[in-house]
Amino acid sequence: MIDEETLAQMNGKYVCPPDAGPAWRAAMEYGFDMSLVEDALQLTPEQRLEQHQHALNLVLEVKEAGERNATK
Amino acid sequence: MQQNDKALLSRLKEQKVEFVIIGGVCGVLHGASLVTLDLDICCRFNRKNLRQIEAAVKDLHPRHRLTANKLPLELTDELCGSLKNIYLNTDLGVLDCLSEVAGIGDYEQVLQRSISHGMSYGEFRILNLDALIAAKSAVGRQKDLDAVKLLRAIKERKDQQKELF
Repeated sequence: MIDEETLAQMNGKYVCPPDAGPAWRAAMEYGFDMSLVEDALQLTPEQRLEQHQHALNLVLEVKEAGERNATK
Repeated sequence: MQQNDKALLSRLKEQKVEFVIIGGVCGVLHGASLVTLDLDICCRFNRKNLRQIEAAVKDLHPRHRLTANKLPLELTDELCGSLKNIYLNTDLGVLDCLSEVAGIGDYEQVLQRSISHGMSYGEFRILNLDALIAAKSAVGRQKDLDAVKLLRAIKERKDQQKELF
C-alpha cells in the first residue's frame, strides 16, 4: 500500500531536504525545480557541462523545428 | 549552428588563450540547472591573447555578431588596441570575449576571483561562486536575478557541505 505522501512524490511533489537553508527554500518557492539542482550537484562540473549540452541541443532542435514550421 | 561549448573551450585551450569562464556556462559548471545559448569568457585583451583567440576560431568563419554586416574577425594591431569586447558567431556557436565583468572588474580582478578545475580536455579557470553571484547581481536583468536566486541556493548548500564544486 502506497501512502499519500509517497504517491504525491511519485506525481512530482518535491520534498525539500530537512536541512535546506533559507536560500534553497526561497529558490524552490520561486519556482525552480530543485530536484534538478540536487541531481546536478551529484555530478562533476564536466558531467554538468555534458548534461547542459544535451539540454541545449534539445532546445535548439525545438527552436529550429519551430522556425521551419513558421516558414511553411 | 549548434552551440558546442566543449569544442570551443578545447580550441581556446589548444591555443593557450588566457581566459576565465564566466556567465551561464560558469553557472552550469557550479551546478545551476539553466540552459544558456552562448559561451562567455573574460580574457586578457592584449595583442598576443587576442591573436590566440583569433587562431582558435579562424577556421570557424568567425564574425562580429553584433555588427550590422556581421563583419568577419580580422584582427589588426590597431584593432587589438581598440577592442574592449569581441562578440562572435562561429561554426561552433556563440563566443563572447569580455575584457571586464560588471560587479568584478578587469581580467586581473576576475582572475583573482576564479578557481581552477580540471576536465578531461584541460584545466580551466572558472569564476568562483561568490563572484558569479556578484556579477549577475550587477547586471541586474531579470534572467540574471533569477539565476542569482538559484546560485545563492547552491552556494548555501555547498557551504553546508564544505564543497568547492
